[in-house]
Amino acid sequence: MGITVGMSAHSAPAGFWRRLFLSPNGVVGLMIVLGLIFCAIFAEILAPHNPAKMGTGGRFLPPSGDFPLGTDEFGRDMLSRILYGSRITLLIGAVAVGISMTVGMLVGMLAAFHRGWLEMILMRSTDVLFSFTETLIALSFVAVLGPSLQNAVIAVGVAGIPFYARTCYSAALVETSKPYFEASISAGAGPGRLLFFHLMPNVLPTMIVVATLGVSTAILAAAGLSFLGLGAQPPTSEWGYMLAGSRDYINRAPWLMTIPGLAIAITVLGFNLLGDGLRTSLDPVERK
Amino acid sequence: MWRFLGTRLAMGFLTIWVTTVLVTLLIHAVPGDPVQIMYAQSQGTTPEQIEQVRRSLGLDQPIPIQYLMYMERLFQGDLGVTIRGGQPVLEVIVQRLPNTLMLAVTAMFIAVLIGVPMGFLAAYREGTLVDIGLMFLSIAGISMPHFWLGLMLLFFFALELGWLPVSGNGGLNLILPALTLGLSNAAIFARLTRSSMIDVMSQDFVQTAFAKGLPKALVLRRHVMRAGLLPVVTMMGLQFAFMMGGAIVVENIFSWNGVGRMAVEAIFQRDYPIIQGFILTFSLVVVIVAIVIDALYAVLDPRIRRA
Repeated sequence: MGITVGMSAHSAPAGFWRRLFLSPNGVVGLMIVLGLIFCAIFAEILAPHNPAKMGTGGRFLPPSGDFPLGTDEFGRDMLSRILYGSRITLLIGAVAVGISMTVGMLVGMLAAFHRGWLEMILMRSTDVLFSFTETLIALSFVAVLGPSLQNAVIAVGVAGIPFYARTCYSAALVETSKPYFEASISAGAGPGRLLFFHLMPNVLPTMIVVATLGVSTAILAAAGLSFLGLGAQPPTSEWGYMLAGSRDYINRAPWLMTIPGLAIAITVLGFNLLGDGLRTSLDPVERK
Repeated sequence: MWRFLGTRLAMGFLTIWVTTVLVTLLIHAVPGDPVQIMYAQSQGTTPEQIEQVRRSLGLDQPIPIQYLMYMERLFQGDLGVTIRGGQPVLEVIVQRLPNTLMLAVTAMFIAVLIGVPMGFLAAYREGTLVDIGLMFLSIAGISMPHFWLGLMLLFFFALELGWLPVSGNGGLNLILPALTLGLSNAAIFARLTRSSMIDVMSQDFVQTAFAKGLPKALVLRRHVMRAGLLPVVTMMGLQFAFMMGGAIVVENIFSWNGVGRMAVEAIFQRDYPIIQGFILTFSLVVVIVAIVIDALYAVLDPRIRRA
């Protein structure tokens, strides 16, 4: 909220990368996120065992040399499951944020561009949906569509739309009142050109910050649904679902609880820190 | 002030109205035949019984008529009966809602009591190691999944140390769920309080107070605190909605008998009347809390009070 970055240049502002690398939050966040992407891409190479194979080791083996993170109730290697889980987690974040951002940006830009009745309808409905809260929207969607990972991701993506629409709307309002925008209108630019070649590149920096922070919200929400059993179904090595399964063995094998939780927390922390770093390096007000 | 409150009230009514429309449509958005799906889990339901349920839910009528029928029943306090057990939905919700509200309110107290002093301290020591440390702590707190925090608290305090009960609905049972929900929201209050305090401290009236030579403690207490805490009040309204949402998960961890746990069970059992009732109740609570908080804000902030 209140993240409005105003810029008329289409590329990143001068000194953006230098500032990002100077902010400790941004650097740590970037490292965590890059590390995750690395794990997701090279899961086959990095994973010591097959994540789905039961009885790779004994059941409930505590962390040791062969199984650095121990084994679960079916004797599956936890490290391999966590590594493969990073793929699912990143995919969830990307798809959910993709849905929220695409629809949210379209709604926000259209409302700011087409002042009047369309703005009124779009922003009032956004306000109403926003007051429903994301949790309720996501839960209602799962209730209708039925529990599955795919439906949970759609639900989380849709639930995020009002927030992205609002943020994009306020960023776009700032842009449409700037001289360059009025100049393009006078120069005879059509609505498509104005929206996608002038407005969009300029609200994009703001939206990228929001989306980076949004990945963490989306991952948390989807993991929460999977934790409740409303998202990923067995035998997926989704972290939220793994965490839910650990409850029954909490006394016998506490590592089954600590490890997936830690994985979610580190991932979310990474995107939060990166988003924070991006914001401070893009925002001219915070820069001072 | 009245105009401000009037707008908020109108927005609240609009939200509730939209909820009733969406809740009626919800059952039609279900892929397949909702009545078949609802009864898929119970054995030996005859086609005649299914037809009868369809009629009693009004599903054989055109949608606008269904909406009017739903509204008519709603105004009589009739939310339908549960698919499993045939209990009135209103009764089930009224039984459980106080538990959820108690959990959310207690958690709110914990979040504010921990978060606000943290944010105040960080703002007071802005730029120092204390500030950086506290803010890192809060970003770590925001990143921590509350369901994980809940499991860890459960493991340490209930299982390892045996100090608190694992689940149930007594007074002691409230501690762990409320702590889970409160701690995971404290970080948000800390961040907001910090930025709001820093904002206020740089304003002219505070600079004037310092320039007059007032002692720092007095300026902080009388000038900064009052103005800086206003956004925190607004935040409490927004955050209450998040607490209600968080309660859904936390109730399930600790088997706390609230509406959140009821809703998740209903989703598994495809008990649509309960789900409809839950969505209505949830948005009603969120809207009422938002209006109360707005009224409180209007009373506290002279700029709105006199407008």
